Amino acid sequence: MKILIADDSKVMRQIVLRTMRQAGFGHHDFVEAADGAEALDKVAAEAPDLVLSDWNMPNKTGIELLRALRGTGNAVPFGFVTSEGSEDMRETAKAAGAMFLIAKPFTADHFESELSGMLG
Amino acid sequence: MTISSAPDEALVLAAIEQVWGSMLFATAEAWPSDRVADFETGVQAQIELRGDWNGRLVLTCDSEVATQIAGAMLGLGPEEELPELDIHDAVGEVLNVVGGSVKGALVGTCALGLPGVSETSGAPSRDDSFVVSWGDAPVYVQILPDAA
Repeated sequence: MKILIADDSKVMRQIVLRTMRQAGFGHHDFVEAADGAEALDKVAAEAPDLVLSDWNMPNKTGIELLRALRGTGNAVPFGFVTSEGSEDMRETAKAAGAMFLIAKPFTADHFESELSGMLG
Repeated sequence: MTISSAPDEALVLAAIEQVWGSMLFATAEAWPSDRVADFETGVQAQIELRGDWNGRLVLTCDSEVATQIAGAMLGLGPEEELPELDIHDAVGEVLNVVGGSVKGALVGTCALGLPGVSETSGAPSRDDSFVVSWGDAPVYVQILPDAA
């Protein structure tokens, strides 16, 4: 499977990738995007099977990215990996079509718990 | 975490302790008030909170501490080097996660900004800061409400 990691922090993209490997998902293919607008382009160009996105990003936030995808009928599985994990945000994410929201700081267990059913 | 209407030292320190422990595999402790906490060249990260409370959280540390924080975040060995851009990115992301945790504990706060990071010369005044430890080095934290 191909997984798109969208985060404006390069360091955080590296940490998400490392944590995915620690969670046992390192055999998948990974592509990266540095903001929401680039992520939207990468979804079109790369057709990933899963998007892991930060919420707070320049150009297009994670929730704007998700709404833009769903607005064009793109149903790619989508999860947030973000520094904010309030109930309001979780409800907003779910209502927009996100599968899950993992709040930073996170561990490999969080990714395993959310993704083992989908990624195996 | 306790729900508050404005961030205070206890709330921000609790967020820092959580981030130090889970992201950086280190312990944050309050720096003794009578201990010197100076440095000459540092890195300063700040992030805005907007809502019922408006202001900034600011984190300032020595450049070497910033390098160590970035290395700890990425699990690098002591000999591995990072470009300055990545060091700034890492320190900003640490503050971003602290800010997210603080935001979650505030009533009415609705928006967290993007972190900004720059070089700074010297430590902030201890009058409007509290200091936590990174190993044997100080990290300054400021909770700065917008000027009325």
